[in-house]
Amino acid sequence: MLQFARFAFTRAFLAMFTLILVSFIVFSLMELVPGDCAERYLAFKNTQGSGISLADIETERIRLGLDQPYLTRWVSWIGNAFVGEFGNSCILRLNIADLLGEKFYISLGICLSSLLLAYLIAVPAGILSVTSKSKTLNNSIRFVSYLGLAMPNFLLALMIMLFSTIMFGDSLTGLFSAEFRDAPWSMERVADFLSRAWLPVFILGWSATAFALQTVRALMSDEVGKLYVTAAEARGVTGRRLLWRYPARHALGPIINSLGFDLNRIFNELPIVALILTLTDAGALLIDALARSNDQQLAGAIIFLLTASIVALNFITDIILALTDPRVRRSILG
Amino acid sequence: MAIESIDVGSQTTAADLDVKTKEDYFTASQGQLIWTRFKKNRSAMFGAYVLMTLILAGIFSPFISPYDPNIAGRDKEYMNGAPQFGSFCDDNGCSAIPFLHTQERSRSLATNFRWVTTVNKDKRRYITFLPKGWEYTVLRFEMNFPGKALDFVIPGFTFDRHLFGATEGKVHIFGTDSSGKDIFSRTLHAINTSLAVGTIGVFIAFFLALFIGGVSGFYGGWIDSVLQMITDAIRTVPAIPLFMALAAFIPDTWSAEERFFFISIILGLIGWPTLARRVRTHLLTERNQEYVLAAELCGARPGHIIRRHLLPSFTSYIIVDLVISFPYMVLSETALSFIGLGLKDPVNSLGVMLQNVTSADVLLNYQWYFIPVLFFMALVLAFVFVGDGLRDAADPYGDTKR
Repeated sequence: MLQFARFAFTRAFLAMFTLILVSFIVFSLMELVPGDCAERYLAFKNTQGSGISLADIETERIRLGLDQPYLTRWVSWIGNAFVGEFGNSCILRLNIADLLGEKFYISLGICLSSLLLAYLIAVPAGILSVTSKSKTLNNSIRFVSYLGLAMPNFLLALMIMLFSTIMFGDSLTGLFSAEFRDAPWSMERVADFLSRAWLPVFILGWSATAFALQTVRALMSDEVGKLYVTAAEARGVTGRRLLWRYPARHALGPIINSLGFDLNRIFNELPIVALILTLTDAGALLIDALARSNDQQLAGAIIFLLTASIVALNFITDIILALTDPRVRRSILG
Repeated sequence: MAIESIDVGSQTTAADLDVKTKEDYFTASQGQLIWTRFKKNRSAMFGAYVLMTLILAGIFSPFISPYDPNIAGRDKEYMNGAPQFGSFCDDNGCSAIPFLHTQERSRSLATNFRWVTTVNKDKRRYITFLPKGWEYTVLRFEMNFPGKALDFVIPGFTFDRHLFGATEGKVHIFGTDSSGKDIFSRTLHAINTSLAVGTIGVFIAFFLALFIGGVSGFYGGWIDSVLQMITDAIRTVPAIPLFMALAAFIPDTWSAEERFFFISIILGLIGWPTLARRVRTHLLTERNQEYVLAAELCGARPGHIIRRHLLPSFTSYIIVDLVISFPYMVLSETALSFIGLGLKDPVNSLGVMLQNVTSADVLLNYQWYFIPVLFFMALVLAFVFVGDGLRDAADPYGDTKR
């Protein structure tokens, strides 16, 4: 128990450290982008027809605290970020926490569901492809997983949209239908959301499954040949019981360990899918913030939240692994 | 070479073989063994052929493509045009050289003054081989340092021969896009660009991975822990948003080439952690072997041991890792260009080509825009197949496992 507590404590500390390190990287990157919040907002005002002088920029800078030294601003940014306060967006002048609100949780939910979907398919299929003697089955699983890699997910999204437009007269874009877009949460709204959210989940899950299948297959084929499996077989353990109790248990360890990084990869594809399906979630906001309006405050907040959820998932999987595997508990740095 | 005839897979047949071939097998170098195993893998060999074809097509793209892929080579008479294939026969008889019919654009009172294209079936345009066309320069290399005196230019060679073309007018075997650019030429140049971005990215990632993974795996201990922590932190940053933040940093005034190098460097700077981890794992197991101890006792310095003793012990794995990480580089480039942050339209890269197919209009009316997508898929698939085949071939125990 003491060992476990020590492990959990060290891990939590490491997770915090990673988060702070990453936040520093992100913050520095945001600083690298030419121009700051004050200039950007006033330039925006300028296009709206109000005249702006250098003195205005200076007062705006002081108001936003941009005259403080770099490190001071980072410390105050990270301090606020941990309590979920990200300040105002540069251009939209809205509180970022309000702006993101449920959008971020919806994005996170979509990504987590596709992760779940990917492993629900990949684990049985991967194990099957390693253990089955059938060459055709093996090759077809291989081929499907390769195709998942090579077929761009936006193409898949386009195909499905076109198909459903022709077949059902509904393009399936967006996350809500028009009447529910701004409505408060209710049973109908949830149903409407679910009837549309399956598409991004499916598309994101498609390539995630391909990756997961590759990993499961590689790890499983490493484990199946090992001597402890032969030993267990010699003791009379056979069939599914043998697979799940011996090689699969070992093969799944590293997979659970890397779930956080898988989530990272899915997040990466979210903006692309969001762009095609015109989803109004955080992915699309991020593109908007970075590619169009250059809103560093908003972009930084989104990246910080993404990183925080990845670090959190990594921490959770570490704890789960430590609960099931005493060897992990003993190795503190893992 | 006699080694090709050996069935490495089964010990029984190997025992039956005469001493000569057996000797060949035992004296074969690691590379020869890998090559023998690789050749037996049919899908990997097929992938290798496809890959070679695509790479050659990319390298020789200026020669193979009949028209300039940029706006200078556009065909004003044939915008959004369907693919044209030469035919050998028509109502007026047959010819040994494939030909096309002439298209005539006209407008008059009869067509309500709109431009209408009609095909004149009586006029033939023949396909020609090795005609003179737009000029292209190969092996040109330019470097602009701040200050005029430091500019560095290798002029290169200029050619104007192309593989094929047509008499009078142009032939577009993959059709043309909305501004009349030849999609075939664009696709070939796009393969070239994407491969180049991938190569630069992979090499930067590779050297970083080798250095960081090497130091981390060789020294172990607290250096390893700290480096691993940093590696993990970098792996945690979502790459595309990071790309986006960095890409926003690119000023609009940058030229296509500068943008191109910047993107490749970013790809390399972000792609190293996975590779570094693998190098580290290999090194951690290898460094406790006796030969390393022997070298250390002889007074070899760490850098020497890493370079001369440890790295050669898993060169084959590193090559495999390189091939495997290649498609991911191409995929990242595509994704980045696709959301409009990587390379932009006048540049021909696969991502830019893919971006052009996203509208429903294209899906319904101009399906030939999808031809580059097929090339993209073929490229990624070929890389994955070859990488997988190499991985299996490089595994010395791969045969005994099955």
